[in-house]
Amino acid sequence: MEEKKLNEKESLELITQMIRQSRRNMVVGSGNRFLLYGYSAVILSIIVFVLVRTTGHLTWAALWFGMFLPFIYSWLYDRKHRPAVVTYTDRMINETWKVIGTLFVITVLVMMILGYAMGSVNFALMLPLALIYCGIGTSITGLVIKDSVLAYLPLFGLVFAIYMLVALPSLLHTPVTWHLYFGLSFLIMMVIPGHNLNAKCRK
Amino acid sequence: MLQELDPLLHSQLRLAIVSILLSVDEADFVYLKEQTGATAGNLSVQIDKLAAAGYIRVTKEFVGRKTRTSCQITEKGCEAFERYVEAIKSYLKL
Repeated sequence: MEEKKLNEKESLELITQMIRQSRRNMVVGSGNRFLLYGYSAVILSIIVFVLVRTTGHLTWAALWFGMFLPFIYSWLYDRKHRPAVVTYTDRMINETWKVIGTLFVITVLVMMILGYAMGSVNFALMLPLALIYCGIGTSITGLVIKDSVLAYLPLFGLVFAIYMLVALPSLLHTPVTWHLYFGLSFLIMMVIPGHNLNAKCRK
Repeated sequence: MLQELDPLLHSQLRLAIVSILLSVDEADFVYLKEQTGATAGNLSVQIDKLAAAGYIRVTKEFVGRKTRTSCQITEKGCEAFERYVEAIKSYLKL
């Protein structure tokens, strides 16, 4: 493009064309990130369920910390692959998930500190809390990118979180089926909307 | 009386750069080059002019082993653009 002077009409046309072009080029929130976390949770839920069920050892539930692996992977990926263009939408989504991620770290730390002070650490609350955090994060993302499937499907996943919170005070041990419910929730909250989002982007 | 058009924005490439940056939060050099169809040298010169005027903010960083130059529009740039559009409207009686 040469550095030529424009007349008023050409200026207006150029502004409109450039803004339209850059909007068209925005990759509206790819669903891959949701698929990464969604499938990780589904696979982990099956592994944890099978191991706890067959061995009877609740310590296998510590494998849930494996959910930090997709986080580390995406963090490393983002450091190496910076997008050519960052939209306001991208920024908003990134900031939302930064808050959610921080909330996870704070929750784990507070649970460990309280557990240390009280003599025993119980991560049972982590399952419903994780569902609530991720459900809200996914819904906000859906609202920001105007995807109703992504915005409202997590509400169905949150049903399991409500059930867990209601049932927890009356239980002595975390039922082994909760691990499966957790995976099922992520399937509803992230995997289905993630595939739906990718299908929409392909169109 | 017709308002004066900002000479810095009244050039095809600089106006294109500012228009793009107005609709995104941040864009890198390669993206701007693709969108505007400008040569790297020309784009670099125009980016420097806009940055010197305080219309855009330029950040240079390393991503892996490669350098990445990204641009963001500033508040001053947004205001200048708004004034420019208002001036065009007065010319076109919009």
